[in-house]
Amino acid sequence: MSLYNFILIDDSEFDLFIYEKLLIKSGVASSVITFSSARAALHFLLTNPFPVSIMLLDLQMPDMNGFEFVEAFKDSPIHIQEKIRIFMLSSTIDQRDIENVKKNSVIIDLISKPLDINILKKTIEN
Amino acid sequence: MQAMNEKPIKILYVDDEEHNLHSFKASFRKQWDISTTTSVTEAEEMIQSKEFNIILADQRMPVLTGVQFFERIRYRYPDIIRILITGHTDIRAAIDAINKGEVYRFIDKPWDHTYVENAINSAYDIYKTRRDLKQRNLELQKANEELDKFVYSASHDLRAPLMSVLGIVNLALLDDDIAAQKEYLDMIQKSVKKLDTFLINIIDYYKNARGVPVISSINFDELVTDVLATIHYLPEFEGIKINTNIRQEEAFQSDLMKLRIVFNNLINNAVKFQDPSKKDQIVDIRINANASSAKIIISDNGTGIKEEDQDKIFNMFYRAGNIRSGSGIGLYIVNEAIEKLKGNITISSLYGEGSTFEINLPSINP
Repeated sequence: MSLYNFILIDDSEFDLFIYEKLLIKSGVASSVITFSSARAALHFLLTNPFPVSIMLLDLQMPDMNGFEFVEAFKDSPIHIQEKIRIFMLSSTIDQRDIENVKKNSVIIDLISKPLDINILKKTIEN
Repeated sequence: MQAMNEKPIKILYVDDEEHNLHSFKASFRKQWDISTTTSVTEAEEMIQSKEFNIILADQRMPVLTGVQFFERIRYRYPDIIRILITGHTDIRAAIDAINKGEVYRFIDKPWDHTYVENAINSAYDIYKTRRDLKQRNLELQKANEELDKFVYSASHDLRAPLMSVLGIVNLALLDDDIAAQKEYLDMIQKSVKKLDTFLINIIDYYKNARGVPVISSINFDELVTDVLATIHYLPEFEGIKINTNIRQEEAFQSDLMKLRIVFNNLINNAVKFQDPSKKDQIVDIRINANASSAKIIISDNGTGIKEEDQDKIFNMFYRAGNIRSGSGIGLYIVNEAIEKLKGNITISSLYGEGSTFEINLPSINP
């Protein structure tokens, strides 16, 4: 099984803590970077080196939500965009949200909270 | 509020023959607010500057006929009820009046006093009914939009903490370390408390929106002491200095439950959005109440609110970009409650410096 680098963006400190720990404990992650604000994450990615990663992005966040982050991220340099595969990690069960994820060309898939490592692996390796 | 002597029915009468206008005015000026003109051009200007309920127009006028005049104004002023006055029963004019001018009634010349009275009164009834219906429609639209937003956000705010708990449980099951279990339980406890706060907010919202107001004499000192007692167990509460300055010598009447919602949310926010980097963390509660009104000022030297967020913080489920933001329902409920109490709330805040909420309330005397 291959190891991945992860970037977590979630306004809930709980969820960041839980999923960081879960990713490491389950042996799927070689590194995890966490951000409690999408805006801070965007700033970091544009100004700092980081490895090729998988991003787990929350949807409902204050200031900049998951979809807004993706819109802003589309404007970043191609070599930065190419390093990240974005998955949305959310507890939403709203049909409009689900359709918006499907329609979005940048977000690869929606993964439901709570994060299940087996489902995560399958989704990533698909 | 409408003055007692103000006449509710506002009529504009257009007729090129001045004596018709005079006699109409002479007969009905006591019961209705009547404006008159001999010119259709002037009539249009008058409609622009004053709100009329009913327009009467003579059919035979030199520049435009009554029907042509109605045709011109009916799209721009669809609410005004149109009544045509005719001297001759001309079937062509009658057909046009109905099809093109969409008139509500005809009045024959010479007019009969009772007939005119009935026509105007029933025209005004229609006007009022349509206006009320429009108002109800707007209210319904607003209620539906809010319900939509409510279901969307509530499902998130109810589900997110539950999914957090489930995530923690999954993680705890993976972790054999006994010492770590306590940490997981602590997190579950916090998450459950968050969920509980949201549920209490929802119930507050419902009570405020649907509940029957109960007016009683308010003792602000007691109210503030009560609210402070319910929040002093919060971990954020520690180390915060709360100053209260309450001046109330006379009985002030209002709805205690709504006021409790207001104080509870505002004081909680003032405590929650403190700036830990400041040496003294202060919340000031100042109240000045007398028999007719109350001024309540709650200020803090916390994080403050960014200018671009200040006009949005009272919107339902708006969360300013702060990591400590809750669901965004608290200030919405505060605003709704204050509106129901016929008062107003204003905010002044400097980002990084602190926030001040000022509330002015009238005493509600049953």
